[in-house]
Amino acid sequence: MTEIQSSAGVPVIAAPPQEPHLPPKEWLKKNLFSNVGNTLITIMTSVVILSLANGLLGFAFGSERQWNAVAVNSRLYMSFAYPEAQYNRIWFSFATLLVLAGLSMAIWRGGTRMPFARLAKSAYSFGVGLAIMVWLAPLSTSGTVKWEIAAGGLLLAGFIFNRIAAQDEERSLSSLTLLVGTLASIIATLWFIPYGRHSFIGDRIPQVVSEPGTVAFSTKLPWTIMLFVLVGAYYLGIVLRDRLPERRTRSVLMGFWLISPIFLIYLVLRDPAFTMNHVLYTDIPLVLGFLVVGSLILYALTKPSLGEIGRIIAMLILLAGFGSFLTPMRMIIRIFLIALGLFSLAAPTFSGDKSTRRRYSSIWSGFIVIAGWLITAVNTPSTVEVPGDLFFGGATLTLIVAFFTVILSYPLGVLLALARTSNMPIFRLLATTFIEFVRGVPLITILIFFSVMLPLFLPEGMRLPEVTSVTIGYALFSAAYVAENIRGGLQSVTRGQHEAAEAVGMSTSQKTVFIILPQALRMSIPPMVGHTIGTLKETSLLYIIGLFDLLYVGRSVIPNQTAFIGSTRENLLFVSVLYWVISYSMSKASQRIEKRVGLGER
Amino acid sequence: MSKLFKLLALFLSIGLVASACGSDSADDVTSTTAAPTTEAAETTTTAVELSQGGSLLDVVIERGSVNCGVGATAVAFSVIQPDGTSAGFDADYCRVIAAAVLGDATAVTFIPLTSSERFTAVQTGQVDLLMRTTTWTQSRDTDLGMDFGPTTYFDGQQLMARISDGFSGSSDIADLEGTIICVNAGTTTEKNITEATLLQGVNITLQTFEGSDEVYDSFISGACDVTTTDGSALVGRMAKHEKIGEWVIFPATPISKEPLGPVYPQNDSVWGDVINWSVYATVIADEYGINSSNVDDFLAEPGEIGRLLGTDEGELQTVMGLPADAFYQVIKQVGNYSDIYNSNLNPVGLFREGSANAPAADGGLIYAPPMR
Repeated sequence: MTEIQSSAGVPVIAAPPQEPHLPPKEWLKKNLFSNVGNTLITIMTSVVILSLANGLLGFAFGSERQWNAVAVNSRLYMSFAYPEAQYNRIWFSFATLLVLAGLSMAIWRGGTRMPFARLAKSAYSFGVGLAIMVWLAPLSTSGTVKWEIAAGGLLLAGFIFNRIAAQDEERSLSSLTLLVGTLASIIATLWFIPYGRHSFIGDRIPQVVSEPGTVAFSTKLPWTIMLFVLVGAYYLGIVLRDRLPERRTRSVLMGFWLISPIFLIYLVLRDPAFTMNHVLYTDIPLVLGFLVVGSLILYALTKPSLGEIGRIIAMLILLAGFGSFLTPMRMIIRIFLIALGLFSLAAPTFSGDKSTRRRYSSIWSGFIVIAGWLITAVNTPSTVEVPGDLFFGGATLTLIVAFFTVILSYPLGVLLALARTSNMPIFRLLATTFIEFVRGVPLITILIFFSVMLPLFLPEGMRLPEVTSVTIGYALFSAAYVAENIRGGLQSVTRGQHEAAEAVGMSTSQKTVFIILPQALRMSIPPMVGHTIGTLKETSLLYIIGLFDLLYVGRSVIPNQTAFIGSTRENLLFVSVLYWVISYSMSKASQRIEKRVGLGER
Repeated sequence: MSKLFKLLALFLSIGLVASACGSDSADDVTSTTAAPTTEAAETTTTAVELSQGGSLLDVVIERGSVNCGVGATAVAFSVIQPDGTSAGFDADYCRVIAAAVLGDATAVTFIPLTSSERFTAVQTGQVDLLMRTTTWTQSRDTDLGMDFGPTTYFDGQQLMARISDGFSGSSDIADLEGTIICVNAGTTTEKNITEATLLQGVNITLQTFEGSDEVYDSFISGACDVTTTDGSALVGRMAKHEKIGEWVIFPATPISKEPLGPVYPQNDSVWGDVINWSVYATVIADEYGINSSNVDDFLAEPGEIGRLLGTDEGELQTVMGLPADAFYQVIKQVGNYSDIYNSNLNPVGLFREGSANAPAADGGLIYAPPMR
């Protein structure tokens, strides 16, 4: 709503009429107790809800619950066995993401303003809800008193907000201020409340036991720094917002968001030990060579008057790329050759005046620098010593697998959808076969297949880490579903759009890239978000093939620790809350995107 | 024709995406063959050394750490602690080997393995040593390309039932007539109980579950009368249950033999000897009452104690390729058999007295050949 009002001059779509504001007593009468039947339903439903809440709270706060199992093991949940001495790398990565988040919030003008009247309402409902819950929960007397005081505090806050709202209807609070305030108060508790004592760890072998203390003790300083980083980045973003061209800044930020996880995982968390000689005399010259030669070739190939010769050159480069597999050669050269071939093939679509051609060449330069750097980093052995193949686990593993699956499956899904709706029978047949085959097989089968069977099909001596092969399989699986979502979007683009694009003389690829896909992708946002959330949640199936993901840690690792045998229920409840928080924030974010692109209004 | 080209281009960009993002690993592997990284070089030397009669011992000494395969979910044997390190009876035996070979009990890289991965990990050389509650059986010893060391823990399958149902410590398989028994699906546990009841002609109803938590949940909820698995796991579960006095474990003599111990690659007797005698050293130290706190008082002792601690020039250890004070370091840094047993297994209710794991002198099975 604020979005529409703030952009003055743009025709505003009439907002739906507001419900008249009723005093609580009349609201209750109108909505809950309007007649005998409604009254009955209200009473019955409240009884059911209250007894459910009673049961859940009785479970969660029962005296036999070992919530310490969750608090003490927060390290396992987050990063699994990542060595403690290297934790600064994790904090650095986290800070990088927070800086991006702060900048994005400022540059996309995130956050809304909440009028005090609404704040008062929320504070009242939370206060009343908390009071009822505390009353239902089987807490000790002192605990009950403490929590009831907290509920009273909320009610008092509601009262104060109400007074402010009564004085001035227009006064409001930024939702970001509220967010930072909440985070700050949570972090402040770390300084006073010793969550998760791990004093039970035996001291028989002193070398393997970290210093006694609490989880809160070792993390309060970093968390405080993180808060300042977030706020600082936000203000930096506000400063930058007014000085830089908006569109360019946004696309650069988007690029950072896409690159940073890969950068952080392979360069920061993994800490490759570069051999300077090799980097200086082999890798850098190679990348530079491809950068210069490739840019020149692409600049030449994007010349509009070139015609068929361009395609022949592109095919020759591609052939050289694939042919290079016949002779022994560094893998990086093969990949660069194939990439150059593909860029050259796509060149006619991006032909135009000099600045367009220059931009295409610079995209190539950016690609080659980033790809070259990453490939070099990945080939360098890591210096972080961790047990097993993986240096991450827990929530990190879950998020990383979900991220790469989504990143890989979206482009693949778009291509599959285009192939399936194209009028060329071979591509249509291939895409349909792939999609129907993959959709006919359960995800577990695919995961097991890629973790157990894939190594048998690989060439002699080649071994993929299990997590990589599983991610590839999951991405292929996910792509089939993404393709069907996007096909729905493609089919909703009207015939007139196709004809109009053809009428202005666009080629098929230009029509697809510039006219059809943007509309189709916009239409498929809701199903795609649903699919992304599903992808994240289904990573819990990694449990079955024995990877230490969030669920495995919560269900098998912690309940078997000598101090916490049988604490499965607590840990499962915690894991489900964690999944819910992540999924709910994703769906909230998607609702904002939908509002922004005006879905459902046109 | 031009349309076809464009779609071809589109499809090939699938390959681009895949190679750009998937290259991390694919490239990683292929380029190791082209330009061997340090790691690859290391494995090649291993292969060369082994073929020339070298041993894993030299590899471990050069690497400076022992790669030890452990479990993540075996209560009190090998679990992962809140700080990410491994702990437990099995994990401590990994430290014993590290202390003996490298003089540093912390020089262990723990590799958590699932029960299906563990043998492959030994065969492919991913681990130098497997300490993962692995039962020594004939088929595993002969088929799978690996050897077993001395048993560190004598386990056996037992049953657990409610006292209120009329069971007691002296109950037997014959008392199971008509009961519902819950077990883990597809384990030897399931086979053992089926075999045992068949032999005695007892009729039971078997309910199988995928996870052990489900088994205990149905036992607690009363859906089954009896549950069965290795005795050590039953005791651990019972110790943690609030109604501890209501359950009983029987029969006194387990219905199966489950000797658990170290596993290492086949045909490497130098490395095998190191592991075997490091385990025996903890037992011998226990026989003499030498533990981590009083080991320094024994340094002047002659005879077998001197040979154990290496004070008498440590000839026995240096012949094996170990430092003279190898076993002194084991006892000093980790402890003797009792230290390791008591600190890990007492908290879950497993005690040496009267069990198969008592010293041989007290009627148990823990016994070591003489050091001379």
